[in-house]
Amino acid sequence: MAAATEREFPGPEALADFLRSMRLGIEDGLDPLAAAERAAVELPTNLRGAVDTISRRLRGEYYEDEWGFDEELAEATYPLFDFLYSTWWRVEATGVGNVPAHGRALLVANHAGSIFPFDASMMTMAIMKEHPLPRWPRFMVLDWAFELPFLSSFMRRVGGVPAGPHNARRLLESDEMLMVFPEGAKGTGKPFSQRYRLQRFGRGGFVEVALRTGSPIVPVAVVGSEEIYPKLGESRVLARATGAPFVPLTPTFPWLGVLGLVPLPSRWRIEFCDPIDVSAHAPDAAEDRRVVFDLVEQVKETIQDKLYENLVTRGSAFL
Amino acid sequence: MRRVLITGVASHWGLELARRLERDPEIDYLAGLDSRPPPGDLERTDYIEADLRSPVISRLLTGTEVDTVVHCGILWYPEPGRPAKALHEINVIGTLQLLAACERTPTLERVVVRGSAAIYGCEASAPQFFTEDLARRLPLRTRFQRDISELEDYFDNFARRHPELVCCMLRFQPEIGPDLATPLVRYLRLPVVPTQLGYDPRVQFLHADDATGALAAAAAAPIRGPVNVAPDGAISLSRMLSLLRRPMLPVPHPLFAPALARLGRELGAGELYGDGVRLLRFGRGVDNRRLREEVGYVPRFDAAAAVRDFAAEVDGRRIAPRLHPGVLVERLIGTR
Repeated sequence: MAAATEREFPGPEALADFLRSMRLGIEDGLDPLAAAERAAVELPTNLRGAVDTISRRLRGEYYEDEWGFDEELAEATYPLFDFLYSTWWRVEATGVGNVPAHGRALLVANHAGSIFPFDASMMTMAIMKEHPLPRWPRFMVLDWAFELPFLSSFMRRVGGVPAGPHNARRLLESDEMLMVFPEGAKGTGKPFSQRYRLQRFGRGGFVEVALRTGSPIVPVAVVGSEEIYPKLGESRVLARATGAPFVPLTPTFPWLGVLGLVPLPSRWRIEFCDPIDVSAHAPDAAEDRRVVFDLVEQVKETIQDKLYENLVTRGSAFL
Repeated sequence: MRRVLITGVASHWGLELARRLERDPEIDYLAGLDSRPPPGDLERTDYIEADLRSPVISRLLTGTEVDTVVHCGILWYPEPGRPAKALHEINVIGTLQLLAACERTPTLERVVVRGSAAIYGCEASAPQFFTEDLARRLPLRTRFQRDISELEDYFDNFARRHPELVCCMLRFQPEIGPDLATPLVRYLRLPVVPTQLGYDPRVQFLHADDATGALAAAAAAPIRGPVNVAPDGAISLSRMLSLLRRPMLPVPHPLFAPALARLGRELGAGELYGDGVRLLRFGRGVDNRRLREEVGYVPRFDAAAAVRDFAAEVDGRRIAPRLHPGVLVERLIGTR
């Protein structure tokens, strides 16, 4: 028992050895980080790895791609989102095999919840956990969220990109998988009584981008996201004061303050539908409004049908 | 054989370009125009002392019988003897006078202007990689941006009226290099670097060698229209400071500009120009495919490599930590 705890946490002697060895390193002319790395041999193996990782990151020796996506950091958030996925929301994902394992793809889903795109994170978790060839998707985030401190840089590191056709096109052209929520703020800001009723799908920009880049469209129906922050009303005053598109009033927010931001533990289902191949159309079809609107309607109807189906399958929202 | 005139030859980039073009056997006449003599030695460049803002340059330019004009006289930030108030005059009026002079030079074939990517602005929701057609899509917020936009307007009109001339506007991202004295480079060399709390912009700093290389390549290639000059990829400010081993000092963003001005005065680093504060909050990325494919210049350093190279160059002058961690640790645990 004592031995087991000693392996996990360093005793005071090990810590003292670590610090002493670090000091020697610094006196040898190493910089503090290099000294810490050298001194880490005094520590148990599990901590040694952590010291290495931390000092490597502090030295800037990690990779981030041209969009600012940092895979190592995204992986570090895995346990938190895995908890939300498996325990908190008990997500059941179906049809994950419909997500292409390689190449460009556009995942189109209904949007609900709040400023933080939990639906995007749960779709990511479904792909990372259940897909035979997992890959990190990117997701488009409402512009306004990118003005916010902390949240903007966090979302960028885990794969968020400001919503817009230029970014979408460039991502797809570099063969990434992209998740978009064409309802945008209209989807997240609708009252609880309107839940699971799809709002207008913007101007169909996502279809234009898919046609231009020849990316297959995978409609995704997400059930459960509407109940995490049931929006009963909204505060115009707070919205104007913060510049937010809307500020929801839920049974818990803002009455419980920060605690009110804890999402309710609803039960989720995510269905990835059959991909829609747009390669039959020429890229110029993006300028043909009829083709674009037909495809928008097709995607929207698929998602709406699957939403109702999964609502019935799910049964009770919370139990 | 070509005859080239460089305006703003006393500026860092004017001088660097002149040095590079002097070695080019294709060029048999090289002239450098500025209101003050170039700070370094030039071998065969004919120095012409003139102020761009004065109408005299019309006669001067015609006399040189040049076929290429490279305009390096656009200032991004105030310099000693060239205060912020004079920037508009120098940038906009100077360019206008130069274009007027170009109209009266019958031998002219090509005009290249060293402009700035600041025309795109820095916004949270902006395209992450601006292509050349996306200029002025966002509000022009700073004075420098408005100046750049105005002179690009004049330049576009000039190019339209003179289809026989090859007119190229280069939009440079900010440069990085140990020899540069720009406000952003001085900012990166502060012992403690203030950042804006909660913001971690994606930036592209162009390696100084690539900046000169791209300028020389654009002067030689007959390319029309705007061209972005930027490294491949992008890097976040936090990673950049880690690579530079500079501790960050996050301050709430309304206090950032005053804090930096204060720190800058104390340490002689000077203030950031208007575009810089927004750049260090929202960042800016531009697409460099036109530079690579049409101008044919492939930057040698990508965004991260440029920072690494800068870090290696300035490493020798690193200051030691004030609080020696070893001493601190010894006191804490009370060992020998």
